[in-house]
Amino acid sequence: MNRVHITKLILWMITGFAVAVGITRFLYGLGATTNLTDATPWGLWIGFDVMAGVALAGGGFVITAIVYIMRREEFHPIVKPAVLTAFLGYLAVIASLLVDLGLPWNIWHMMVFWNPHSPLFEVGWCVMLYTTVLLLEFSPVPLEKVSRYAKIRNFLLKFRFPLVMLGIMLSTLHQSSLGSLFLIMPFKLYPLWYSNILPIQFFISAVALGLMMVALESLVSSYLYRRPAEYHLIAKLGKTVVWVLLIYFIIKMTDIVISDKQELLFNGSWESILFITEILIAIIIPMIIFSTRRFRNNPAGQWIGSILVVSGMVFNRINVGGLTMLRATGDSYFPSWMELSVSAGVISAAILIFLFAIEKFHVWETPPRDPEAEPHKLPRFDTASQTWLGIPAVAGRTKYTLIFILSFALGLALIPSPNIRSRGISLAPVAPARGGDTLFIDGNRDLYGVSFNHIRHIEQNGNKKSCIICHHMNIPLDKQSGCYHCHRMMYESYDAFGHEWHSHKSGANLACGKCHLEGQEKNAISAKKCDQCHIDLIPPGALITIEQYNAPAYVDAMHILCVKCHREKVPSLPEKPNLARCTACHESIPPDYLKDTEGNHNVNTKNNRPYFNRVMLPGLK
Amino acid sequence: MKAILTDITKCIGCLECVSACKSVNSLEMDVPRIWQKNDGLSADNWTSIIQKPGPHYIRKQCRHCLEPACASACPVGALSRTEEGAVVYDSGKCLGCRYCMMACPYGIPRYDWDKAIPYIRKCILCHPRILQGKQPACTEVCPVQATIFGNRDELLAEAHRRINENPNKYINKVFGETEIGGVSVLYISDIDLGFLAYKQELGSLPLPKTTSAAMKSVPFAFVGMGAFMYGLNWVIKRREKLGDKDKPNEDNKHE
Amino acid sequence: MDTFLEFASGSLFRLSFAIMAMGLLRILVLDIWAAIEAYKRAGDKNVPWNQAFRKTIAWLFPVSKVLNSRPAYSLLSIFFHIGLIIIPIFLYAHVQLWKGGIGFGWFTLPKLWADYLTLGTIIFGLALFIGRIVNRASLYISRKQDFLWPLLLIIPFITGYLCANLNLMPKYYDVFMLMHILSGDLIFILMPFTKIAHCVIMPLSQFILALAWRFPPNTDEPICATLNKKGTPV
Repeated sequence: MNRVHITKLILWMITGFAVAVGITRFLYGLGATTNLTDATPWGLWIGFDVMAGVALAGGGFVITAIVYIMRREEFHPIVKPAVLTAFLGYLAVIASLLVDLGLPWNIWHMMVFWNPHSPLFEVGWCVMLYTTVLLLEFSPVPLEKVSRYAKIRNFLLKFRFPLVMLGIMLSTLHQSSLGSLFLIMPFKLYPLWYSNILPIQFFISAVALGLMMVALESLVSSYLYRRPAEYHLIAKLGKTVVWVLLIYFIIKMTDIVISDKQELLFNGSWESILFITEILIAIIIPMIIFSTRRFRNNPAGQWIGSILVVSGMVFNRINVGGLTMLRATGDSYFPSWMELSVSAGVISAAILIFLFAIEKFHVWETPPRDPEAEPHKLPRFDTASQTWLGIPAVAGRTKYTLIFILSFALGLALIPSPNIRSRGISLAPVAPARGGDTLFIDGNRDLYGVSFNHIRHIEQNGNKKSCIICHHMNIPLDKQSGCYHCHRMMYESYDAFGHEWHSHKSGANLACGKCHLEGQEKNAISAKKCDQCHIDLIPPGALITIEQYNAPAYVDAMHILCVKCHREKVPSLPEKPNLARCTACHESIPPDYLKDTEGNHNVNTKNNRPYFNRVMLPGLK
Repeated sequence: MKAILTDITKCIGCLECVSACKSVNSLEMDVPRIWQKNDGLSADNWTSIIQKPGPHYIRKQCRHCLEPACASACPVGALSRTEEGAVVYDSGKCLGCRYCMMACPYGIPRYDWDKAIPYIRKCILCHPRILQGKQPACTEVCPVQATIFGNRDELLAEAHRRINENPNKYINKVFGETEIGGVSVLYISDIDLGFLAYKQELGSLPLPKTTSAAMKSVPFAFVGMGAFMYGLNWVIKRREKLGDKDKPNEDNKHE
Repeated sequence: MDTFLEFASGSLFRLSFAIMAMGLLRILVLDIWAAIEAYKRAGDKNVPWNQAFRKTIAWLFPVSKVLNSRPAYSLLSIFFHIGLIIIPIFLYAHVQLWKGGIGFGWFTLPKLWADYLTLGTIIFGLALFIGRIVNRASLYISRKQDFLWPLLLIIPFITGYLCANLNLMPKYYDVFMLMHILSGDLIFILMPFTKIAHCVIMPLSQFILALAWRFPPNTDEPICATLNKKGTPV
């Protein structure tokens, strides 16, 4: 196994995983797969994939500007890979955007319904146009393979200069407009990042990022294929990036000083640390590395410098894209593993296409050789079945597809069932009431519970007859199921009877008249009871009889059962709260035992939400 | 231009407005979801009552800005402000980018996170009812007239009249009169209502103005960059033609 | 028990179903790919579409086979296949599960039919197994998986029948249900990697057979040379 094959194997694996998660996202919605909330509607897929992805793909317009506009022919060897990287980068951006959009099939609406006031409208148009431009810029390379299309190729080559011009102009627009997106959030974005010249900052940083992304792409791909990278060109790019970074740094700092935010820089807050880290990683250290001749010409220095700039600028996009808004929104967001895997999968797929393209087409001056395809290599056999794996191409696709489907299946299997089933209500698994004479009933374990005196309830409600109020008969041979047995989830109803099965012709195939008597309203109360058909259903010694089948949600059940009796008792007990008023119970003021030592109640942690106003009355009809 | 005025000192927290809203807009029963904010609003709850110590009951709903940030942010114009003052939503246009949720300074728009076909959900000031000449469901059912509906000018006058009559009772400010260019859902209160937005003081600059400057310079940037690149190319070509072997300074490309 | 059931019908089911679906798709795609490459290599580019198509149909609806050799065995096999395919797909309970999972269902079998068909499938499966042991010729060409498959395939049918008819053994419902789901999961996982894969590549195999045994042009001479039969026409 060599580097390329191992890399491809891993990439196929990640892609398979991401495809599984992607399917889940489209079947069950964003809530089932992401950690996005109403307070944080943009997460990793926008902050990283779209914001950083567009900037990472900025290498295309920077290098084409250097080669075709400034006519620096020595950079020609890296033009094709740079344009290819940019094109695939934009495809990846569009792919992750389609996953992130709630109604991705409506994306064409941007072309029909115009709102030129919106920066996003402009970004969308530019991305669409620029991706087309990149496709036209790159397509001469694959077209070269087919002599039939020589005419089209020559036609495209004729228009290369205008295409390059158009590409640069479109890039200028949307790279900066990505910054304009956040101008409308002055109250959410932390002041260190919010700036009226955010668009200009975004554009300049995209230039720096684009330069270094091209360098990194060259370094990585030459590592994979064991060929010397264009070190002399990367050194030149490094020299250039120092100037770009310097301008970026000066603009950024000047802006902070002018708008009088410098005291926020060193106040030790979480954001100030983020900001200083970002500046160090993205600007200061790379500037030192690339301004020193020794580091600049050294592959190790080039690796470190380019990785620092790339990661630092990506960090900047994530900071602006939502990370530094968390203080204002008071939310806590960390991407779910499903979001992370989709991001990784989109990138993996893009890299796989990149590797495919450089192996198939004339992207590099000297195309890479597949070490597995060397004629002196011995044929390879599968260790398990002792069968010949076939020629390298066949062996490769057998392996890649196998790992793809296995990790696809694993991805589907790992998706937590509650996420799929209970649509975001996963917080409310009901715990069994711990027995004894007094039960503490707190179904969703938020510490808002009731001490329930079991013995007294039995006495007050008519001894043994009253068991039926709470305990049900649900499964054959059941003697006395507690609420928990079926009401597993606080807000989900539970059907113990299965009306559809009993009436369906593929089920029990019973006519209505079998259970519902003629002339009576057809409902659960008037219908036949279970034991009239299932004679052996009730075991001897059962505490309960059969009364109720279709159990409502736990919360409804509790309201019907508890509130009903309490309401009857209320007139005789003047001290008790007025249960007819919801606000008597559902308060926003937390009880004392939920307060911390300073008397504050942290209302934003997801596990600890106050219960007030959560359960709304259904509509008045 | 229609508006709602809510008097915090009058509200008794009976939740009749919430029930009426659910009924009129046919919203489903609300259950707590992990993605909800802590203010009672959700995709199935377009207005809510927040209880503050006192007790004070503050009704939260869409503020229906005069220059709404959400409408200016929406790339397809799915959100728009009507003549009557309501900011309404056209689900047929929406593509689900959620930029409106990001842009709203009050954090009002909510999302159907649990649906495979999700839409933005928020108070629309009962716009269909207004068109029929009726008032919104919430103001209609309020048993104590804590929240009332009317023309914005009249309600503003009424608010100032109440404050002037009882200067000790109220904070001397009509919340929403001028903030971010004015909103249609006004409050008068005896406690500060800064917590309804992401920042205590929002200022009076309408949010669409923050992006409009950048958006206006877009054509100039487009043409300017093109002209600059063409000019640069022309100069460099000319130099090459003249046999000038000095390559242009590398700094050129940063300008 | 609930946890086991939850796991077997949740995560494990998704895993096995995905391996089954994607795995079958994979071998189908790889085989088509191989067929295309074989076609490119082949000297004679004439594909006997008609012949391959007719043979495929003959294999799918083996009427002539029934009439000719070993009619009893062929009939058993046909009915077994019908039960194997129809019951899991069109059983009411399964369709209800699909409805809950993906939102739509389809035509379902009446309960009585499903019960008889299930019993039939179990009996046919056992008969096939016995037939394989008894018949000297088929015993000789059988591999291990050929013996195991009929037995493995009838486990979900037996347990499923017991679960569907609650009054038979109500106490052990959970146990049978778990066995039913687990054996189903195992079958799904094994499908693409064993001979059960013939459910998707059977139609293809005739085409591949027709294609792959074509030699590239001018290969007859070297072949004859290798076989020490120079000069004989191939």
